[in-house]
Amino acid sequence: MDKGKKRRREDEEIEAIVDTEANHSLSLDQNLSFSDTLVALRMMRAQFPQIDKAAIQPFILQSQLYSSVKDRTQVDRELESLRRDKVVRIFKLNTGQDDHGIMFLDDYLKQVEHVVKRMEEKKQGDLEVFKWFKVHVIESKLEPSIGHQELYALLSPGGRVKDEHVSLLINAGLLTRQLIDPNMYWFAIPNIGSILKGLSQGRKELLSLLNRRRYKEMMLAPLEKKRLRFSPLDMRFHLRDLIGSGHIKTAHTPTGIVVRVSKD
Amino acid sequence: MWKEIGNREMGKIRPNSFSSQVKSNRISNLQLSNNKDIVSPHRGSINSLQVDLTEGRYLLSGASDASAAVYDIQRPTNYEGNGLIAKHKCLFSVDKQHEKGHKYAISSAIWYPVDTGLFVTGSYDHYVKVWDTNTTQVVMNFKMPGKVYRTAMSPLATSHMLIAAGTEDVQVRLCDIASGAFAHTLSGHRDGVMTVEWSTSSEWVLITGGCDGAIRFWDIRRAGCFLVLDQSQSQLGRRPPILARSAANKVNVSKSLSAGQNSLGKPRAPQKKVANGHGMKQSTIGRMPTKGSARQRLHPGMLSIQDRATAHYGAVTGLKVTDDGMYLLSAGSDSRIKLWDLESGYNTLVNYEMVRLQTSKAIQLAISQDSAQVFVPCMTVVKAFDIWSGKMSLTFLGHYESVNCCWFGSQDQELYTGGNDRQILVWSPCQPITDDMDAGHSKDQDNWSD
Repeated sequence: MDKGKKRRREDEEIEAIVDTEANHSLSLDQNLSFSDTLVALRMMRAQFPQIDKAAIQPFILQSQLYSSVKDRTQVDRELESLRRDKVVRIFKLNTGQDDHGIMFLDDYLKQVEHVVKRMEEKKQGDLEVFKWFKVHVIESKLEPSIGHQELYALLSPGGRVKDEHVSLLINAGLLTRQLIDPNMYWFAIPNIGSILKGLSQGRKELLSLLNRRRYKEMMLAPLEKKRLRFSPLDMRFHLRDLIGSGHIKTAHTPTGIVVRVSKD
Repeated sequence: MWKEIGNREMGKIRPNSFSSQVKSNRISNLQLSNNKDIVSPHRGSINSLQVDLTEGRYLLSGASDASAAVYDIQRPTNYEGNGLIAKHKCLFSVDKQHEKGHKYAISSAIWYPVDTGLFVTGSYDHYVKVWDTNTTQVVMNFKMPGKVYRTAMSPLATSHMLIAAGTEDVQVRLCDIASGAFAHTLSGHRDGVMTVEWSTSSEWVLITGGCDGAIRFWDIRRAGCFLVLDQSQSQLGRRPPILARSAANKVNVSKSLSAGQNSLGKPRAPQKKVANGHGMKQSTIGRMPTKGSARQRLHPGMLSIQDRATAHYGAVTGLKVTDDGMYLLSAGSDSRIKLWDLESGYNTLVNYEMVRLQTSKAIQLAISQDSAQVFVPCMTVVKAFDIWSGKMSLTFLGHYESVNCCWFGSQDQELYTGGNDRQILVWSPCQPITDDMDAGHSKDQDNWSD
C-alpha cells in the first residue's frame, strides 16, 4: 500500500517534469543519465519518436536503460520489481542476441486493443481468444516466454481452447514460436516488425557512419542532428541503444561530448 | 602497513581479517608480472589451466596440439636478466608423439584432487585418459561417445573417485578410476554438455551446463537432476535474513496458490521448481497432455527431462562455484554472466558489464579466494569484476589473441591466463624493482671503489 502511494506521488512529479521538458526536445548531452530506472523509462517513453507509418506505442530497449543509469545491477533489479508489480512488461526481441524491449503495461494493452480491432474489421474467425488472453494470460504470466501446456492451461478458464485459437494469436503477432524449442512461445509486441527491421538497419548505419571517419569518432552535437536514412527511429534512440550495448562509448572533452566506436 | 601489523599485534585486528586485507590489497594491484615468466612448449592454443589443489605448486596446462605440460610455479628452472626474471620451463610434457597420447586437441586437463600423482586429460579424440605423473604413462583410458569438452573431479570426495565428463553427447558420463569402468550416466540435457563442475559443499552434487542453455544440478546417488536453474526466477540480491523471510512466506502462501508468480521476490517453498520429483507438482505434470503423442510414464526421478528452463539464451560456456559453496557463476554465449544463489536456486540479477564473450569454446572463470573478485576472459582481455556489484575493477590486457582459461593461485595471489596465442601469462601483485636496482648500483659502486 505504501508503495502505491509513493508511486502515485512519484507519478505526479514525473508527469510534471515530463510535460515541461518533453515540449522542447532536449539534446542528448543534457539528459544522458538519470538517477532512477522508472524516471529513465518515463523520460524515454516521452521522447519516443513519432512514426507515421506504423501505429505503435512507445517502447524502450534494455540497452538504452543501461546507458542512462550508472549502475547496471540496480537497473536489472528495479526492472525486475517493476515487472513483478505489473507496471512494465518485458519482451525478448529477435534483433540480436540479448535484446529486450520494455513497454508499459497500459501501452501494451492499448496496442493489443488496436490489433484486435483490426482483426474484428477483417472478420477473421472467433475473437474471444483475445479476451481470454488479455484477462488470463497477460495478468498472470509475467515472464517473456510461455510454454504450450501452460498457455492452454491459462486460456482454458475462458472456454474450450483449440489449436486454431493459438494460430490466431500467432497471426495477430501476440505470440511467436521459439526457434530452438517448438513447445515454447515468446510474447511479442504486435505490429512491431517494420520497426525492428529499422532498428537493426539503423544500428548498422550509425556504426558505419562512425567507422568511416578517419578516427572513428564524432562530436555528439552534430551527430545528433543527422538523420538516419534506413530507420524510422531517431538518432537519439539509436545512440542510447548502442552506448548501452557497448558498441560505442562517450567521452567528455573540453569542447563537448565525443562519441567513439569502442574497440574490444 | 606497519600500522596494521601493530594493530594485529595488539589484537585490534583479528588475524584472519588482517591476512584478508593484505590479500585483497595485493589483488587490487595485479598486473603483468615483471619477474616471473612461464615458458610454454605448446604449439597450439591453451585450453585449460589448473594449479594443483593440495600444494599449489604445480600448474597443469592442456593445449590444442594434444599436448599437456606441468610447470613448477614456485621454483624457477633458471634465471635471466641479471637474476631478475625467473623462468619456469615445463617439467615434462606429453604430446602426440607419446605412444598413448591424445591425437586431437586436449580440451581439459585436471589434477587428481587428492595428490599430484595422477592427472586426467579429456580430448576431442573422444578419450579421457588418466596419467601417472611420475612415470608419464597412461594408466587408464575411457572412451566417450563424442568429443570431450570438460572433465572434473570433486575436490571434496572421500568416498568416490569419479571423473565427470561432459561431451557433445547429451549424456554426462561418470568414469570411475577405482574400477576402470563407467559408473553411470546422467541424462536430461537436450544438447551437448559444455561444462561440468562439482559442488564445493557436497561431494555428491554435480553441476553441468549444456549447449541448450540449461544448468542442471545432479545428485549422483539418485536418478535425474534435482534442480534446473531458470533465469526468470530471480531474487533481488542476497537472500533476506530468516525472520523477514518467514513473515513474508506466510503472506505469500495465502496469496499465491493460483497459477502464476509471486509478486514479491522472497524465496518460497511450495510451488517452486518443476524439477522436483516429489511434492504436489508431480501430479499436475503427469496430467498435462503432451502435444500430439501419448503420455509416457516416466520414473519420478526423470521428470526433470520435461523441465525446459534455460539459464542462458545461448549455450552455457563456463561455470564456477565459489569456495564457500553458496554461489554459482555461469557464463553463456549470450555474453552474459549470471550469479546464482545455490541455496534458493535463483538468479541474483547482478549485471556484469560485458560486450562479447567467446562463444565457440568453453571458458574457464576464476574467483579469488575470498569470493570478492571474479576473473573473466572476454575475448583478448581478462576482466576482474566485483562479484556483488558487477563493476569492473581491473583489466588485464596482454594476450595477442582470445583468452580461453584463467586460474587464480590463492597462495601467492597470482593469476595465470592462457589463450589462443599459445602463451601462459602470469599476473602478480606489482613488486617494485627499483629497490633492487638501487641496491645493485650501490653494491657496484662499493665493489669498484676498493
